[in-house]
Amino acid sequence: MRLRKLLPTYLLASAYAFLLVLPLLTLLSASLRAEGDLYAPGLLPPHPTLEPYREALSRYPLPRFLLNSLLVSTAVTLGVLATSLLAAYALTRLRFRGREALFGLAVALLLVPGEVTFLPLYLLVDRLGWLDTYAALTVPFMASPLGVFLLRQYLRTLPEDYFDAARIDGATHWQALRHVALPLSAPALGALAALTFIGTWNMYLWPLVVTKSREMQTAQIAVNFILNEEVARWNVVAAGAILVLLPTLIAFLLAQRAFVRGIALGGLKG
Amino acid sequence: MALVLARKGVGRKGEPWSALPFLLPAYGLFLLFMVLPVLEALWLSLHREDLFGRGREWVGLGNFQEVLARPEFWKSALLTLKFALVVAPLELALGLLAALLVYRPYPGVAFFRTLFFLTTAVPTAVAAVAWGWFLHPVGGWANRLLAGLGLPPQPWLTSPDLALYTLGVITAWAGVGFTAILLTAGLQNIPEEVLEAATVDGASPWTRFFRITLPLLSPTLFLVGLLVVLKSLTAFGQIHLLTRGGPAESSMVWIYRVYQDAFFNFQVPLAAAEALLLFLVLLLLAALQFWLIGRRVHYAA
Amino acid sequence: MGMRGFFLAKAGLLTALLLGTAQAQRTTVEFWHSMGGVLGEATEALVKEFNASQNRVQVKAQYVGSYDDGINKLLAALRAGRGFPHVIQVYDIGARIMADSGAVVPLEDLARRNGFDLDRFLPQPRNYYTVDGKLYGLAFNSSNPILYFNMAAFQEAGIPFKPTWSLKDLEEAARKLTKKDAQGRTVRYGLSIPIDSWFVEQISYNSGEYFCNNENGRRARAMAVAFDNPAAVAFLDTYARLVREGVAANTGRNWADSQSLFAQGQAAIASYSTASLTGVLRQVGNRFPLRTAYYPYLKERNGVAIGGAALYVLKGFPEAETQGAWEFVRFLLEPKTQAKWHLATGYFPVVKGVAELPEVRQAHVRQANYTTAIQQLATSKVNNASAGCLMGAFPEIRQYVQAAWEEVLKGKPAQEALREAKAKADAALERYNRGVAGR
Repeated sequence: MRLRKLLPTYLLASAYAFLLVLPLLTLLSASLRAEGDLYAPGLLPPHPTLEPYREALSRYPLPRFLLNSLLVSTAVTLGVLATSLLAAYALTRLRFRGREALFGLAVALLLVPGEVTFLPLYLLVDRLGWLDTYAALTVPFMASPLGVFLLRQYLRTLPEDYFDAARIDGATHWQALRHVALPLSAPALGALAALTFIGTWNMYLWPLVVTKSREMQTAQIAVNFILNEEVARWNVVAAGAILVLLPTLIAFLLAQRAFVRGIALGGLKG
Repeated sequence: MALVLARKGVGRKGEPWSALPFLLPAYGLFLLFMVLPVLEALWLSLHREDLFGRGREWVGLGNFQEVLARPEFWKSALLTLKFALVVAPLELALGLLAALLVYRPYPGVAFFRTLFFLTTAVPTAVAAVAWGWFLHPVGGWANRLLAGLGLPPQPWLTSPDLALYTLGVITAWAGVGFTAILLTAGLQNIPEEVLEAATVDGASPWTRFFRITLPLLSPTLFLVGLLVVLKSLTAFGQIHLLTRGGPAESSMVWIYRVYQDAFFNFQVPLAAAEALLLFLVLLLLAALQFWLIGRRVHYAA
Repeated sequence: MGMRGFFLAKAGLLTALLLGTAQAQRTTVEFWHSMGGVLGEATEALVKEFNASQNRVQVKAQYVGSYDDGINKLLAALRAGRGFPHVIQVYDIGARIMADSGAVVPLEDLARRNGFDLDRFLPQPRNYYTVDGKLYGLAFNSSNPILYFNMAAFQEAGIPFKPTWSLKDLEEAARKLTKKDAQGRTVRYGLSIPIDSWFVEQISYNSGEYFCNNENGRRARAMAVAFDNPAAVAFLDTYARLVREGVAANTGRNWADSQSLFAQGQAAIASYSTASLTGVLRQVGNRFPLRTAYYPYLKERNGVAIGGAALYVLKGFPEAETQGAWEFVRFLLEPKTQAKWHLATGYFPVVKGVAELPEVRQAHVRQANYTTAIQQLATSKVNNASAGCLMGAFPEIRQYVQAAWEEVLKGKPAQEALREAKAKADAALERYNRGVAGR
């Protein structure tokens, strides 16, 4: 009875899910084929082989690219969490003239597309002598208007009582931040962390321009390079892309609950 | 950007300057890496120079005049609008469908949730490569599926009539996991009692959806819509990897024209002017949307 | 290496004795290139060989992405006034830009100072990179466009092979080679050419037409484009007509997609660069025998211009480092190096006497298709049409030509599409010239 009622849901959900993941499945299929089988029909490779993976790994320092992405994304995420929480705390718990203007500035900056400031930013980073370093990949992004925006909105929804209680206990702002705001905003911080991590992991125009040596390059550029270099060898390109996809995919599957809850909370408290 | 602190914290302990250490890390970085470059872009846009950055001379608003006089620029602006109008409804509709399918628990819902939210974890470059292969003119699955249905193959990315729509679908695909997560949460926030009351009143599922669920979901939909539109206006990676603004400039959206003029045509001051105009539009749009949210949206709380 | 290697080794030893450790005294020369994949491996191999051949100069090669990425990084570095390399590879159409940059030490100056005879160059590569009467860049990787034939399809259609083709002949052959199924859908296309301005440029040159005015910008700075010439118009109109008939394929701008089509046997004739040969041969495998021929022309064959990229030595370094850069360039010009490069990549040699080397001869006997480009070059007329167009803003202008090609495929007459593109291109060129004129 219940199953019959659910049948349309199952059918619809299965069809939707299949179409949604089909491009990824065809990519996976291509990555398991020899060059000669590349255009053979069917979703299953006729003679499955790991050769494209071996080739992608031997020709490109993919582990290094992935490690760089991980380092850069982690550093930026931690930086954004810290700077955003501090600023959001001031914007909600401290009273000073220009507070709304500062928040407005964060909202305005939220809309500055990276491409607008790209060249001046490049010149600036060069003046600082940061080209081809981790600093160029991380420091400019360690403060996020989105982070300030989201956390400010979130902190505003926290009940005043908690802070009042802390104040009565004689806590300083630093203590209130550490013992009240920080633990209470954990869900929002989780959301921000997820958003920032994905955003940083996905950056590629910037790393493409500020890095030169292979040792400094990130996984996204690896995909770009492999696509450019392996002109028609889609099996090697696909293998490289799958290897770049794996870490984020695994992270998503392992932490899906926290990830989803984070994004939902963070995105909705506008 | 003068930060003027109140003489006295109202009902707060601490010094008037106590906000500074909290604000400095974030706003210091904003100042250095966002405000300063925007100002420098503005400065550049008021000058003319050769492609090596030599012979810089003041031209006032000359670059803006030149940009606004170019028909290509208006074509790009129009394409950008068209792109947003393709991406936003598609992504919202697909996201809503996914959310409706998984927001209530049933056996196996976790499996479908995972699949529906999956594209959140796919980096843009990987998404572009996956679709590049999926739509490949020789071995691509999209055309094979069409052939299976007895339909002729389509030039997905090579036809000026089709490329923008194809890119729109890819962009919606890449974003739909994110949208579905937000809308699922939005649906779950609708109090169960309201729907139950409607069921008792004898409302059909369709009436319930259109008269109750959708209006109650509207704040979320607006917010998600805002995010989707803004993301679509600055969509870059997939265009860069798949069409480079072509064919016949049919996917030369505004942001891509900025990139093209700055890093390909080496017209940096002109590109700076175009970028600032885009910035202006984004600001206006966001202000409009905030205003609309404030006025029209039906707040559940 | 012989005498020279011995000499270099001796000089290095002397330096080492005089100045302590050799390692500490090695001059580092930075080299940015855009050779990816197999080509990148071949480039790195040459650099490694150079570094091992002597101990005074250490070349540090860096792959900086595509040609566009490379010139972007260079321009940004020039703007900043630092962070640029000693030697950079820039694509063919950047020749005018590089000369105008004022940042290049002309190769001619270096060659004269070091007693290198410029007549050792083949005329076309030398002409191409000569700007305002001076040779600026070293034609490092030089290619030209050739036709690729699926000989199994030719045999099936009863078309004999020949080395030279007019556009008209090519059109007829493509029609005969096309195979359609019962529903009238094409199973095998007759022709596939990627949408790339380069092919429009080359049909102009090969038909004796200029692509930009002032004789391809060779007599004086080009002030306007000339790509609305009869050859370009005929080429685009023909191609679009064949696409509409289902004879020619439209795989877009991506060369790789066209190559897949050809290698799968789904297109009987294609046109790519000579540098694509190694990759195409590998992709084809033994699916069908492949032969190559000269690029087509409209009425009378004139000659194609070279494509590819050149190396430039940049100013602003201590004398010893610039000298080190020259030594690297000089090494690349050695016939033996040129032979290795040619055999590894399919790019043709740019100095005389390489094709006669035994290892090259043997390789050419094994795979005769590698000689097509060299023969095409040798039988080309040397004039300002085959010197190739020299103008600023070329990267931008190529975009307009490609967009025009796509407009023609949509149904616009080529004459009209090219004239509209010319207006945009002339404006871009005018802007460029205005920018650099005061210098």
